[in-house]
Amino acid sequence: MVDETKLAEKQETVETLRKVDDDLRLPSVPERNFFPKEIDIAPARLQTPAIGQRATRPDGRLHGLGQTKYIDDMFFPGMLHAKIKRAGVAHAKIKSIDVSEAQKMPGVQATLIGSEIPVNSFGPSLQDQPLLADQVVRHAGDGIAAVAAVTEQQALDALEKIKVVYEELPPVFDPIEAMSEDAIKIHNNDSNIYASKTIIKGDIEQGFKDSDYIFERRFTTQMVEHVPMEPHASIAEWDANGRVTLHSSLGRITLGRADIARTLEMPINRIRIIATVVGGNFGGKNEITTEPIISLLSKKTGRPVKCVFTREDEFISSTTRHPFIMDYKTGVSKEGKILARKVRIVCDGGAYCSWTETTLGKASILSAGPYNVENLHVDAYAVYTTKTVTGAMRGFGAPQVCFAYESHMDDIAAELGIEPLEIRLMNAFNEGSSSPTGQVLESVVVSDSLIMATERFGWKEWQK
Amino acid sequence: MTDITLNVNGEVKTASVPPETTLLKMLREDLNFTGAKIGCDVGDCGACTVLVDGLAVNACLMLAAQANGKEVLTIEGLSTLDKYHPIQKAFEDVAALQCGFCGPGMIMATKALIDQEQELTRDQIKDALSGNLCRCTGYTKIIDGVIDAYEKITGRKVPARNPRAA
Repeated sequence: MVDETKLAEKQETVETLRKVDDDLRLPSVPERNFFPKEIDIAPARLQTPAIGQRATRPDGRLHGLGQTKYIDDMFFPGMLHAKIKRAGVAHAKIKSIDVSEAQKMPGVQATLIGSEIPVNSFGPSLQDQPLLADQVVRHAGDGIAAVAAVTEQQALDALEKIKVVYEELPPVFDPIEAMSEDAIKIHNNDSNIYASKTIIKGDIEQGFKDSDYIFERRFTTQMVEHVPMEPHASIAEWDANGRVTLHSSLGRITLGRADIARTLEMPINRIRIIATVVGGNFGGKNEITTEPIISLLSKKTGRPVKCVFTREDEFISSTTRHPFIMDYKTGVSKEGKILARKVRIVCDGGAYCSWTETTLGKASILSAGPYNVENLHVDAYAVYTTKTVTGAMRGFGAPQVCFAYESHMDDIAAELGIEPLEIRLMNAFNEGSSSPTGQVLESVVVSDSLIMATERFGWKEWQK
Repeated sequence: MTDITLNVNGEVKTASVPPETTLLKMLREDLNFTGAKIGCDVGDCGACTVLVDGLAVNACLMLAAQANGKEVLTIEGLSTLDKYHPIQKAFEDVAALQCGFCGPGMIMATKALIDQEQELTRDQIKDALSGNLCRCTGYTKIIDGVIDAYEKITGRKVPARNPRAA
């Protein structure tokens, strides 16, 4: 059982932390409610006194009062509204962009096209994405031009007056097709495969030879949009001294600042980003979108410029979760022990890299699941297609492969007539197991967790 | 331009707006009530929910002119920092607000629901809030918050959830 003095010590720490936190809160906020009132400290595997506690969020009060200021709730004197013209074609050469008619529209103060941006490219690992496409359109959501006008409606109306002449190119929507040698090259590279990863562990051939049964199956997942309740939003103000202040819903402000400095070709110390409360990120707000564009519009007009994505912009131009095509081949003994596994992942990388490299890496490492697989071969490819950009989203590729290896596990269990729980316990990592990349694992509680979970939600009873 | 006079949170307000202006845009940009949010601007997400003559309305789907002469209640009119509404308190207590963007709409929709003074079950609450989207919480905490508020305000009880039910 828990040592009494230790318990008292922990309670004291909790109280001190609460006190410090309370002192910093809004003055008229009444005392907080804690659930449960008595501190419930679990005896096992307790790391900090915070575990097992339930606390209210300090910002919950202002959220509830409707007083939290998100970007779109901020207005500055003289502020203009910017909107972005989207390509609407999946793959095309841009012959010309004519914004002269749009500039004559009522309320329009400035326009911007890609060639006016000092360095028209960005991206966290490969800088392959233009802020506004100026030569080639690689997916329908590519921005072509931006308009800043007095009201949002005027900006939207002006977008319709922008004339773009395209020479349409054949689109590539299927990643498998895009991988082939004679496929249309989306980025003028030798191949549309722009990142790959291989993991080899043990002897895969021998593993399959030793297996009693071999199971093969293809799993596919679809593209998913984050749909944050608050669309991407930012406000830029270029001041007279040549410094730009950005209020932005950007999640990674330091990375964003470096990216913005690069695109605007200006010293990083002249860029100030104020991160505000974000109305949902889920990985979709991890890189810059319109910040450099509205900074330049602000420079042109001498006025603050706000840009809030419409819901349509959000769906067609912001990043999404990668669709995966996963081929699993698993050799098992007749008892159900995994002896060999071969995985091929084709990650539909969309039009630009964004966070694909990171996603691909994580997906490959996790693709064997939390199971001891002595003989493993993973090949993973990220492929350009002329589709919406795919990037970071909750889990960085982990949910896709989890869906595949767990479904595969169920298939094998059903085929061999083994309990789904049994086959997992038989193969799960234990203390000291090594991961596919050779990391020796400590504090492994997969089996304990599985057993505890099945007991708690009544797995055995449910099966009857 | 259209001249509009309406009652917002107990005060008479006037504004002169272009005819295509929605109630939401007018509230946010002309009258400075930014509590109602623009989530989708097409009536899908409910982040803009306000009460018009006591009924929950997607302010992005109602033209400002349609609200002329009506009584509008926004989240700002529900309470102040020192006089906190039980719904807001309940939402805060159960941590139903994470990023908070859907919060004002959720709370106003909840108020409209509780004001109907019906007997409510968990499923009816889910139904009533189906026009309000949230991407953070998974809704469980929000429903808990609504139940907590409903029980405190009306003194009624929501039947306990069947643990086997989804």
